[in-house]
Amino acid sequence: MARAARSGTRFDIAILVLCVVLSLLTLALPQPMRAPVAGALRRTVMAPLVTVQRGTEQWRVAWRESERLALGHDSLVLAAANANALRLENDRLRSLLGLGSRLQWGFVPAEALQATARPGDVITSLVLSAGSNAGIAMYSPVVGPDGVIGLVQSADPTTSIAMLFSNPDFRVSAMTADGGVFGIVYPHAGSGGDGYLLELRNVVFSTLLKPGTQIITSGLGGVFPRGIPVGRVVAEINTTEGWSRTYLLRPAVNPANVTSVMVMTPYRATQGVGNVWALPASAESAQRRVLGAADSLAKRAAALDAARRLARADSIKADSIKADSARADSVRRARAPGGGPS
Amino acid sequence: MTVGAAFRTAIVVAVLLVMQFAVQPLMPWRVSPDFLVIALLYAAVRIRPGSAAVLGFALGLVTDSLSLGGFGAGALALTIVGFGASWLKAVFFADNLAINAAFLFLGKWAFDVLYALARHTMSLGQTLAQILLWSVLSAAFTAVVGVVVLAILRPLDPAEARPR
Repeated sequence: MARAARSGTRFDIAILVLCVVLSLLTLALPQPMRAPVAGALRRTVMAPLVTVQRGTEQWRVAWRESERLALGHDSLVLAAANANALRLENDRLRSLLGLGSRLQWGFVPAEALQATARPGDVITSLVLSAGSNAGIAMYSPVVGPDGVIGLVQSADPTTSIAMLFSNPDFRVSAMTADGGVFGIVYPHAGSGGDGYLLELRNVVFSTLLKPGTQIITSGLGGVFPRGIPVGRVVAEINTTEGWSRTYLLRPAVNPANVTSVMVMTPYRATQGVGNVWALPASAESAQRRVLGAADSLAKRAAALDAARRLARADSIKADSIKADSARADSVRRARAPGGGPS
Repeated sequence: MTVGAAFRTAIVVAVLLVMQFAVQPLMPWRVSPDFLVIALLYAAVRIRPGSAAVLGFALGLVTDSLSLGGFGAGALALTIVGFGASWLKAVFFADNLAINAAFLFLGKWAFDVLYALARHTMSLGQTLAQILLWSVLSAAFTAVVGVVVLAILRPLDPAEARPR
Protein backbone atom coordinates (compact mmCIF):
# COMPACT_ATOMS: atom_id res chain seq x y z
CA MET A 1 0.00 0.00 0.00
CA ALA A 2 2.76 2.39 1.02
CA ARG A 3 4.66 1.36 -2.09
CA ALA A 4 1.69 2.19 -4.29
CA ALA A 5 1.32 5.57 -2.61
CA ARG A 6 5.01 6.26 -3.09
CA SER A 7 4.85 5.39 -6.77
CA GLY A 8 1.75 7.56 -7.16
CA THR A 9 3.54 10.50 -5.56
CA ARG A 10 6.52 9.97 -7.84
CA PHE A 11 4.19 9.92 -10.82
CA ASP A 12 2.57 13.18 -9.69
CA ILE A 13 5.95 14.81 -9.23
CA ALA A 14 7.03 13.62 -12.64
CA ILE A 15 3.94 15.19 -14.19
CA LEU A 16 4.56 18.40 -12.28
CA VAL A 17 8.14 18.52 -13.52
CA LEU A 18 6.97 17.85 -17.05
CA CYS A 19 4.37 20.66 -16.90
CA VAL A 20 6.86 23.08 -15.37
CA VAL A 21 9.43 22.25 -18.04
CA LEU A 22 6.83 22.70 -20.76
CA SER A 23 5.79 26.04 -19.25
CA LEU A 24 9.39 27.21 -19.13
CA LEU A 25 9.91 26.09 -22.70
CA THR A 26 6.79 27.99 -23.72
CA LEU A 27 8.09 31.05 -21.89
CA ALA A 28 11.41 30.74 -23.63
CA LEU A 29 9.88 30.41 -27.08
CA PRO A 30 10.92 33.23 -29.41
CA GLN A 31 8.17 35.61 -30.47
CA PRO A 32 7.81 34.32 -34.08
CA MET A 33 7.15 30.82 -32.71
CA ARG A 34 4.81 31.94 -29.89
CA ALA A 35 2.43 33.81 -32.14
CA PRO A 36 1.25 30.83 -34.24
CA VAL A 37 0.69 28.69 -31.11
CA ALA A 38 -1.24 31.45 -29.30
CA GLY A 39 -3.18 32.21 -32.48
CA ALA A 40 -4.16 28.56 -32.91
CA LEU A 41 -5.36 28.41 -29.29
CA ARG A 42 -7.36 31.63 -29.73
CA ARG A 43 -9.00 30.32 -32.88
CA THR A 44 -9.92 26.92 -31.41
CA VAL A 45 -10.20 26.40 -27.66
CA MET A 46 -10.58 30.03 -26.71
CA ALA A 47 -12.93 31.04 -29.54
CA PRO A 48 -16.19 30.48 -27.59
CA LEU A 49 -14.79 32.18 -24.51
CA VAL A 50 -13.56 35.11 -26.56
CA THR A 51 -17.06 35.38 -28.03
CA VAL A 52 -18.51 35.42 -24.52
CA GLN A 53 -16.03 38.10 -23.48
CA ARG A 54 -16.84 40.18 -26.56
CA GLY A 55 -20.56 39.94 -25.77
CA THR A 56 -19.92 41.02 -22.19
CA GLU A 57 -17.82 43.96 -23.36
CA GLN A 58 -20.53 45.01 -25.80
CA TRP A 59 -23.14 44.76 -23.07
CA ARG A 60 -20.97 46.88 -20.75
CA VAL A 61 -20.45 49.49 -23.45
CA ALA A 62 -24.18 49.51 -24.18
CA TRP A 63 -24.94 49.92 -20.48
CA ARG A 64 -22.51 52.84 -20.21
CA GLU A 65 -23.95 54.37 -23.34
CA SER A 66 -27.48 54.07 -21.98
CA GLU A 67 -26.34 55.72 -18.74
CA ARG A 68 -24.70 58.50 -20.74
CA LEU A 69 -27.87 58.92 -22.80
CA ALA A 70 -30.00 59.02 -19.66
CA LEU A 71 -27.70 61.69 -18.24
CA GLY A 72 -27.91 63.63 -21.50
CA HIS A 73 -31.69 63.30 -21.47
CA ASP A 74 -31.85 64.54 -17.88
CA SER A 75 -29.69 67.56 -18.66
CA LEU A 76 -31.82 68.30 -21.72
CA VAL A 77 -34.98 68.16 -19.62
CA LEU A 78 -33.35 70.48 -17.09
CA ALA A 79 -32.25 72.82 -19.86
CA ALA A 80 -35.77 72.77 -21.31
CA ALA A 81 -37.23 73.60 -17.89
CA ASN A 82 -34.75 76.44 -17.51
CA ALA A 83 -35.51 77.63 -21.03
CA ASN A 84 -39.19 77.80 -20.19
CA ALA A 85 -38.47 79.82 -17.03
CA LEU A 86 -36.16 82.09 -19.02
CA ARG A 87 -38.80 82.56 -21.69
CA LEU A 88 -41.38 83.54 -19.08
CA GLU A 89 -38.94 85.96 -17.48
CA ASN A 90 -38.06 87.33 -20.89
CA ASP A 91 -41.73 87.89 -21.64
CA ARG A 92 -42.18 89.68 -18.31
CA LEU A 93 -39.15 91.88 -18.89
CA ARG A 94 -40.24 92.62 -22.44
CA SER A 95 -43.67 93.71 -21.26
CA LEU A 96 -42.05 95.80 -18.56
CA LEU A 97 -39.78 97.41 -21.15
CA GLY A 98 -42.82 98.06 -23.29
CA LEU A 99 -44.53 99.77 -20.37
CA GLY A 100 -41.39 101.79 -19.70
CA SER A 101 -41.19 102.99 -23.28
CA ARG A 102 -44.88 103.95 -23.20
CA LEU A 103 -44.61 105.76 -19.87
CA GLN A 104 -41.51 107.51 -21.25
CA TRP A 105 -40.54 109.30 -18.03
CA GLY A 106 -41.16 109.53 -14.29
CA PHE A 107 -40.81 105.92 -13.27
CA VAL A 108 -38.23 103.82 -11.48
CA PRO A 109 -37.77 100.16 -12.40
CA ALA A 110 -37.17 97.93 -9.38
CA GLU A 111 -36.71 94.31 -8.52
CA ALA A 112 -39.38 92.89 -6.25
CA LEU A 113 -37.91 90.77 -3.49
CA GLN A 114 -40.60 88.52 -2.12
CA ALA A 115 -40.49 87.39 1.47
CA THR A 116 -40.36 83.61 1.71
CA ALA A 117 -43.87 82.55 2.48
CA ARG A 118 -45.38 79.12 2.95
CA PRO A 119 -47.41 77.82 0.03
CA GLY A 120 -50.92 79.18 0.34
CA ASP A 121 -49.89 82.24 2.33
CA VAL A 122 -51.11 85.56 0.98
CA ILE A 123 -48.28 87.97 0.22
CA THR A 124 -49.22 91.47 1.34
CA SER A 125 -45.95 93.36 0.92
CA LEU A 126 -42.84 93.41 -1.21
CA VAL A 127 -39.37 94.77 -0.70
CA LEU A 128 -38.27 96.82 -3.70
CA SER A 129 -34.66 97.23 -4.75
CA ALA A 130 -34.95 101.01 -5.26
CA GLY A 131 -35.57 103.73 -2.70
CA SER A 132 -35.71 107.44 -2.09
CA ASN A 133 -32.34 107.98 -3.80
CA ALA A 134 -34.04 106.98 -7.04
CA GLY A 135 -36.97 109.34 -6.45
CA ILE A 136 -39.36 106.94 -4.76
CA ALA A 137 -41.50 108.43 -2.00
CA MET A 138 -44.23 107.22 0.31
CA TYR A 139 -47.48 106.43 -1.55
CA SER A 140 -45.73 106.18 -4.91
CA PRO A 141 -47.86 103.89 -7.15
CA VAL A 142 -46.32 100.48 -7.85
CA VAL A 143 -47.47 99.14 -11.19
CA GLY A 144 -46.68 96.43 -13.67
CA PRO A 145 -47.36 95.83 -17.35
CA ASP A 146 -50.73 94.33 -16.43
CA GLY A 147 -51.89 96.95 -13.94
CA VAL A 148 -51.94 97.98 -10.31
CA ILE A 149 -49.68 96.10 -7.89
CA GLY A 150 -49.71 98.33 -4.81
CA LEU A 151 -48.17 101.47 -3.39
CA VAL A 152 -45.02 102.34 -1.50
CA GLN A 153 -45.48 102.26 2.24
CA SER A 154 -41.99 103.34 3.28
CA ALA A 155 -38.98 104.43 1.29
CA ASP A 156 -35.41 104.05 2.51
CA PRO A 157 -32.50 105.48 0.51
CA THR A 158 -31.81 102.26 -1.38
CA THR A 159 -34.83 100.07 -0.75
CA SER A 160 -38.51 100.55 -0.16
CA ILE A 161 -41.42 98.49 1.03
CA ALA A 162 -44.54 98.27 -1.06
CA MET A 163 -48.00 97.47 0.23
CA LEU A 164 -49.70 95.10 -2.19
CA PHE A 165 -53.37 95.29 -3.09
CA SER A 166 -53.82 92.16 -1.01
CA ASN A 167 -52.95 94.12 2.13
CA PRO A 168 -56.04 94.73 4.31
CA ASP A 169 -55.26 98.49 4.43
CA PHE A 170 -55.16 98.91 0.67
CA ARG A 171 -57.81 101.03 -1.05
CA VAL A 172 -58.05 102.51 -4.53
CA SER A 173 -60.77 104.48 -6.24
CA ALA A 174 -61.84 102.69 -9.40
CA MET A 175 -64.33 102.77 -12.25
CA THR A 176 -65.35 100.84 -15.30
CA ALA A 177 -63.31 101.41 -18.43
CA ASP A 178 -66.09 103.56 -19.95
CA GLY A 179 -66.24 105.70 -16.80
CA GLY A 180 -69.89 104.91 -16.18
CA VAL A 181 -69.64 103.21 -12.79
CA PHE A 182 -67.44 104.16 -9.85
CA GLY A 183 -66.51 102.41 -6.63
CA ILE A 184 -63.79 101.74 -4.12
CA VAL A 185 -61.58 98.65 -4.46
CA TYR A 186 -60.80 96.73 -1.27
CA PRO A 187 -58.91 93.47 -0.78
CA HIS A 188 -61.21 90.49 -0.52
CA ALA A 189 -60.92 88.69 2.80
CA GLY A 190 -59.92 85.17 1.89
CA SER A 191 -57.08 82.73 2.04
CA GLY A 192 -55.01 80.82 -0.51
CA GLY A 193 -55.99 81.64 -4.08
CA ASP A 194 -58.96 83.74 -2.91
CA GLY A 195 -56.62 85.98 -0.90
CA TYR A 196 -55.66 87.87 -4.03
CA LEU A 197 -59.22 88.65 -5.10
CA LEU A 198 -60.54 92.20 -4.75
CA GLU A 199 -63.91 93.76 -4.05
CA LEU A 200 -65.41 96.74 -5.81
CA ARG A 201 -67.65 98.29 -3.19
CA ASN A 202 -70.06 101.21 -3.09
CA VAL A 203 -71.26 100.71 -6.65
CA VAL A 204 -74.55 102.50 -7.29
CA PHE A 205 -77.37 100.03 -6.75
CA SER A 206 -79.10 100.85 -10.01
CA THR A 207 -76.16 99.69 -12.13
CA LEU A 208 -75.32 96.14 -12.96
CA LEU A 209 -71.87 95.03 -14.03
CA LYS A 210 -71.43 91.98 -16.21
CA PRO A 211 -68.72 89.42 -15.39
CA GLY A 212 -65.54 90.27 -17.31
CA THR A 213 -66.07 94.03 -17.16
CA GLN A 214 -62.70 95.73 -16.82
CA ILE A 215 -62.14 97.97 -13.81
CA ILE A 216 -59.48 100.67 -13.92
CA THR A 217 -58.25 103.31 -11.51
CA SER A 218 -60.35 106.46 -11.56
CA GLY A 219 -57.66 108.90 -10.45
CA LEU A 220 -59.93 110.25 -7.72
CA GLY A 221 -57.96 108.96 -4.77
CA GLY A 222 -54.95 111.16 -5.45
CA VAL A 223 -52.43 108.30 -5.43
CA PHE A 224 -53.03 106.36 -8.63
CA PRO A 225 -53.53 108.23 -11.90
CA ARG A 226 -56.55 107.39 -13.99
CA GLY A 227 -56.52 104.47 -16.39
CA ILE A 228 -54.44 101.74 -14.74
CA PRO A 229 -56.15 98.31 -14.89
CA VAL A 230 -57.16 96.93 -11.51
CA GLY A 231 -59.00 93.78 -12.51
CA ARG A 232 -62.13 92.29 -14.02
CA VAL A 233 -65.52 91.63 -12.51
CA VAL A 234 -66.07 88.00 -11.51
CA ALA A 235 -69.48 88.16 -9.86
CA GLU A 236 -71.65 90.20 -7.56
CA ILE A 237 -71.33 89.53 -3.85
CA ASN A 238 -74.48 89.50 -1.78
CA THR A 239 -74.05 92.01 0.98
CA THR A 240 -76.36 93.21 3.72
CA GLU A 241 -76.14 96.80 2.51
CA GLY A 242 -79.20 97.54 0.44
CA TRP A 243 -78.20 100.83 -1.15
CA SER A 244 -75.08 99.79 -3.04
CA ARG A 245 -73.62 96.75 -4.76
CA THR A 246 -70.33 94.97 -4.21
CA TYR A 247 -68.55 93.02 -6.93
CA LEU A 248 -65.79 90.45 -6.69
CA LEU A 249 -62.83 91.29 -8.94
CA ARG A 250 -60.08 89.13 -10.29
CA PRO A 251 -56.95 91.32 -10.12
CA ALA A 252 -55.04 92.11 -13.28
CA VAL A 253 -51.77 91.13 -11.57
CA ASN A 254 -50.94 88.03 -9.56
CA PRO A 255 -48.59 89.23 -6.78
CA ALA A 256 -47.09 85.77 -6.41
CA ASN A 257 -45.60 86.11 -9.90
CA VAL A 258 -44.27 89.63 -9.55
CA THR A 259 -40.51 89.84 -9.90
CA SER A 260 -40.01 93.29 -11.44
CA VAL A 261 -42.11 96.41 -11.03
CA MET A 262 -42.30 100.05 -12.05
CA VAL A 263 -42.62 102.68 -9.33
CA MET A 264 -44.12 105.91 -10.57
CA THR A 265 -42.70 109.06 -9.06
CA PRO A 266 -45.29 111.24 -7.28
CA TYR A 267 -45.00 113.95 -9.89
CA ARG A 268 -45.52 111.50 -12.74
CA ALA A 269 -48.62 110.20 -10.95
CA THR A 270 -50.13 113.66 -10.91
CA GLN A 271 -49.54 114.11 -14.64
CA GLY A 272 -51.68 111.13 -15.63
CA VAL A 273 -50.80 108.19 -17.80
CA GLY A 274 -53.25 108.68 -20.64
CA ASN A 275 -53.99 105.41 -22.40
CA VAL A 276 -50.64 103.76 -21.68
CA TRP A 277 -52.30 100.55 -20.50
CA ALA A 278 -54.98 100.66 -23.20
CA LEU A 279 -52.38 100.77 -26.00
CA PRO A 280 -51.33 97.13 -25.92
CA ALA A 281 -54.97 96.05 -26.03
CA SER A 282 -55.77 98.36 -28.94
CA ALA A 283 -52.59 97.28 -30.71
CA GLU A 284 -53.61 93.69 -30.19
CA SER A 285 -57.11 94.28 -31.50
CA ALA A 286 -55.65 96.19 -34.48
CA GLN A 287 -53.35 93.27 -35.15
CA ARG A 288 -56.32 90.92 -34.93
CA ARG A 289 -58.23 93.13 -37.38
CA VAL A 290 -55.28 93.19 -39.79
CA LEU A 291 -54.95 89.43 -39.57
CA GLY A 292 -58.70 89.01 -40.09
CA ALA A 293 -58.62 91.28 -43.12
CA ALA A 294 -55.65 89.39 -44.52
CA ASP A 295 -57.52 86.13 -43.96
CA SER A 296 -60.63 87.38 -45.75
CA LEU A 297 -58.50 88.71 -48.62
CA ALA A 298 -56.76 85.36 -48.90
CA LYS A 299 -60.13 83.58 -48.81
CA ARG A 300 -61.50 85.86 -51.53
CA ALA A 301 -58.39 85.33 -53.68
CA ALA A 302 -58.69 81.56 -53.21
CA ALA A 303 -62.38 81.64 -54.16
CA LEU A 304 -61.60 83.71 -57.28
CA ASP A 305 -58.82 81.35 -58.24
CA ALA A 306 -61.11 78.33 -57.78
CA ALA A 307 -63.83 79.97 -59.87
CA ARG A 308 -61.31 80.78 -62.60
CA ARG A 309 -60.03 77.19 -62.61
CA LEU A 310 -63.60 75.89 -62.77
CA ALA A 311 -64.41 78.17 -65.69
CA ARG A 312 -61.25 77.10 -67.53
CA ALA A 313 -62.09 73.44 -66.96
CA ASP A 314 -65.64 74.02 -68.22
CA SER A 315 -64.42 75.69 -71.39
CA ILE A 316 -61.88 72.92 -72.04
CA LYS A 317 -64.62 70.34 -71.53
CA ALA A 318 -66.96 72.19 -73.88
CA ASP A 319 -64.22 72.48 -76.52
CA SER A 320 -63.40 68.79 -76.33
CA ILE A 321 -67.11 67.84 -76.57
CA LYS A 322 -67.42 70.10 -79.62
CA ALA A 323 -64.34 68.53 -81.23
CA ASP A 324 -65.60 65.02 -80.47
CA SER A 325 -69.01 65.68 -81.98
CA ALA A 326 -67.40 67.23 -85.09
CA ARG A 327 -65.15 64.19 -85.46
CA ALA A 328 -68.15 61.83 -85.00
CA ASP A 329 -70.10 63.78 -87.63
CA SER A 330 -67.26 63.54 -90.14
CA VAL A 331 -66.85 59.80 -89.49
CA ARG A 332 -70.59 59.28 -89.87
CA ARG A 333 -70.53 61.24 -93.12
CA ALA A 334 -67.58 59.18 -94.38
CA ARG A 335 -69.31 55.88 -93.58
CA ALA A 336 -72.66 56.95 -95.09
CA PRO A 337 -73.26 55.51 -98.63
CA GLY A 338 -72.21 58.01 -101.23
CA GLY A 339 -70.78 60.17 -98.58
CA GLY A 340 -67.17 61.24 -98.42
CA PRO A 341 -65.01 64.19 -98.25
CA SER A 342 -66.16 66.60 -100.74
CA MET B 1 -13.72 10.22 -7.23
CA THR B 2 -16.76 8.73 -8.92
CA VAL B 3 -17.65 9.44 -12.53
CA GLY B 4 -20.63 11.54 -11.43
CA ALA B 5 -18.48 13.60 -9.09
CA ALA B 6 -15.87 14.08 -11.82
CA PHE B 7 -18.59 15.19 -14.22
CA ARG B 8 -19.99 17.66 -11.69
CA THR B 9 -16.51 19.02 -11.01
CA ALA B 10 -15.92 19.45 -14.74
CA ILE B 11 -19.22 21.33 -15.08
CA VAL B 12 -18.36 23.64 -12.20
CA VAL B 13 -14.92 24.30 -13.64
CA ALA B 14 -16.47 25.06 -17.04
CA VAL B 15 -19.02 27.44 -15.50
CA LEU B 16 -16.30 29.26 -13.55
CA LEU B 17 -14.19 29.44 -16.71
CA VAL B 18 -17.10 31.06 -18.56
CA MET B 19 -17.61 33.43 -15.63
CA GLN B 20 -13.99 34.50 -15.91
CA PHE B 21 -14.78 35.82 -19.39
CA ALA B 22 -18.40 36.84 -18.84
CA VAL B 23 -18.31 38.46 -15.40
CA GLN B 24 -14.79 39.76 -14.96
CA PRO B 25 -15.00 42.24 -17.88
CA LEU B 26 -17.89 43.87 -15.99
CA MET B 27 -15.45 44.76 -13.24
CA PRO B 28 -12.80 46.77 -15.10
CA TRP B 29 -10.90 47.69 -11.97
CA ARG B 30 -7.35 46.94 -11.02
CA VAL B 31 -8.63 44.60 -8.32
CA SER B 32 -11.03 41.93 -9.51
CA PRO B 33 -11.84 38.34 -8.59
CA ASP B 34 -10.06 35.56 -10.47
CA PHE B 35 -12.58 32.86 -11.34
CA LEU B 36 -9.85 30.85 -13.04
CA VAL B 37 -7.99 30.37 -9.77
CA ILE B 38 -11.25 29.54 -7.99
CA ALA B 39 -11.98 26.90 -10.64
CA LEU B 40 -8.50 25.43 -10.38
CA LEU B 41 -8.57 25.28 -6.58
CA TYR B 42 -12.11 23.85 -6.62
CA ALA B 43 -10.92 21.04 -8.89
CA ALA B 44 -7.46 20.61 -7.36
CA VAL B 45 -8.77 19.55 -3.96
CA ARG B 46 -10.80 16.84 -5.67
CA ILE B 47 -8.15 15.32 -7.92
CA ARG B 48 -4.58 14.01 -7.66
CA PRO B 49 -1.68 16.51 -7.64
CA GLY B 50 -0.45 15.39 -11.04
CA SER B 51 -3.90 15.90 -12.60
CA ALA B 52 -4.16 19.28 -10.89
CA ALA B 53 -0.82 20.26 -12.38
CA VAL B 54 -2.01 19.25 -15.87
CA LEU B 55 -5.28 21.13 -15.39
CA GLY B 56 -3.37 24.20 -14.21
CA PHE B 57 -1.02 23.97 -17.16
CA ALA B 58 -3.91 23.69 -19.63
CA LEU B 59 -5.89 26.53 -18.10
CA GLY B 60 -2.80 28.72 -17.95
CA LEU B 61 -1.80 28.02 -21.51
CA VAL B 62 -5.18 28.80 -23.04
CA THR B 63 -5.56 32.01 -21.08
CA ASP B 64 -1.98 33.01 -21.88
CA SER B 65 -2.97 32.95 -25.52
CA LEU B 66 -5.05 36.08 -24.89
CA SER B 67 -2.29 38.07 -23.23
CA LEU B 68 0.14 40.10 -25.26
CA GLY B 69 3.30 39.06 -23.46
CA GLY B 70 4.48 36.35 -21.09
CA PHE B 71 3.07 33.40 -23.02
CA GLY B 72 3.66 30.46 -20.64
CA ALA B 73 3.83 32.52 -17.42
CA GLY B 74 0.22 31.79 -16.53
CA ALA B 75 0.72 28.12 -17.36
CA LEU B 76 3.74 27.91 -15.06
CA ALA B 77 1.99 29.74 -12.21
CA LEU B 78 -1.22 27.74 -12.43
CA THR B 79 0.70 24.45 -12.71
CA ILE B 80 2.50 25.12 -9.44
CA VAL B 81 -0.62 26.49 -7.71
CA GLY B 82 -2.72 23.55 -8.86
CA PHE B 83 -0.16 20.98 -7.76
CA GLY B 84 0.42 22.76 -4.44
CA ALA B 85 -3.30 23.07 -3.72
CA SER B 86 -3.90 19.41 -4.45
CA TRP B 87 -0.89 18.35 -2.36
CA LEU B 88 -1.89 20.56 0.57
CA LYS B 89 -5.59 19.71 0.47
CA ALA B 90 -5.28 17.30 3.39
CA VAL B 91 -3.72 20.07 5.44
CA PHE B 92 -5.91 22.95 4.43
CA PHE B 93 -9.24 21.66 3.30
CA ALA B 94 -11.86 21.53 5.98
CA ASP B 95 -15.52 22.24 6.21
CA ASN B 96 -14.86 25.72 7.44
CA LEU B 97 -15.52 28.91 5.51
CA ALA B 98 -12.63 30.82 7.06
CA ILE B 99 -10.12 28.12 6.15
CA ASN B 100 -11.54 27.89 2.64
CA ALA B 101 -11.23 31.67 2.31
CA ALA B 102 -7.61 31.53 3.50
CA PHE B 103 -6.95 28.70 1.02
CA LEU B 104 -8.39 30.76 -1.84
CA PHE B 105 -6.51 33.86 -0.71
CA LEU B 106 -3.18 32.02 -0.60
CA GLY B 107 -3.85 30.31 -3.91
CA LYS B 108 -4.62 33.56 -5.73
CA TRP B 109 -1.75 35.44 -4.11
CA ALA B 110 0.71 32.64 -4.93
CA PHE B 111 -0.53 32.67 -8.52
CA ASP B 112 -0.05 36.44 -8.80
CA VAL B 113 3.44 36.28 -7.30
CA LEU B 114 4.52 33.44 -9.59
CA TYR B 115 2.93 35.11 -12.61
CA ALA B 116 4.60 38.46 -11.92
CA LEU B 117 7.99 36.81 -11.42
CA ALA B 118 7.65 34.54 -14.45
CA ARG B 119 6.44 37.27 -16.73
CA HIS B 120 9.17 39.63 -15.59
CA THR B 121 7.99 42.66 -17.56
CA MET B 122 7.70 45.17 -14.69
CA SER B 123 10.36 47.09 -12.83
CA LEU B 124 11.28 46.04 -9.30
CA GLY B 125 9.15 48.79 -7.72
CA GLN B 126 6.16 47.93 -9.88
CA THR B 127 6.59 44.24 -9.14
CA LEU B 128 6.72 44.89 -5.40
CA ALA B 129 3.63 47.15 -5.59
CA GLN B 130 1.87 44.49 -7.61
CA ILE B 131 2.78 41.67 -5.22
CA LEU B 132 2.33 43.49 -1.93
CA LEU B 133 -0.65 45.70 -2.73
CA TRP B 134 -2.70 44.87 -5.79
CA SER B 135 -2.22 41.10 -5.57
CA VAL B 136 -3.17 41.10 -1.90
CA LEU B 137 -6.34 43.06 -2.64
CA SER B 138 -7.16 40.82 -5.61
CA ALA B 139 -6.57 37.76 -3.48
CA ALA B 140 -8.90 39.08 -0.80
CA PHE B 141 -11.57 39.86 -3.40
CA THR B 142 -11.12 36.41 -4.95
CA ALA B 143 -11.38 34.79 -1.53
CA VAL B 144 -14.66 36.56 -0.79
CA VAL B 145 -16.13 35.70 -4.19
CA GLY B 146 -14.80 32.14 -3.95
CA VAL B 147 -16.41 31.59 -0.57
CA VAL B 148 -19.72 32.81 -1.99
CA VAL B 149 -19.35 30.50 -5.00
CA LEU B 150 -18.49 27.53 -2.76
CA ALA B 151 -21.48 28.30 -0.54
CA ILE B 152 -23.73 28.38 -3.61
CA LEU B 153 -22.27 25.12 -4.97
CA ARG B 154 -22.36 23.26 -1.65
CA PRO B 155 -25.82 21.69 -2.23
CA LEU B 156 -24.57 20.29 -5.54
CA ASP B 157 -21.46 18.87 -3.94
CA PRO B 158 -22.03 15.30 -2.65
CA ALA B 159 -20.20 14.40 0.51
CA GLU B 160 -18.25 11.62 -1.13
CA ALA B 161 -16.76 13.99 -3.66
CA ARG B 162 -15.33 16.21 -0.99
CA PRO B 163 -11.75 15.45 0.01
CA ARG B 164 -11.22 13.94 3.37
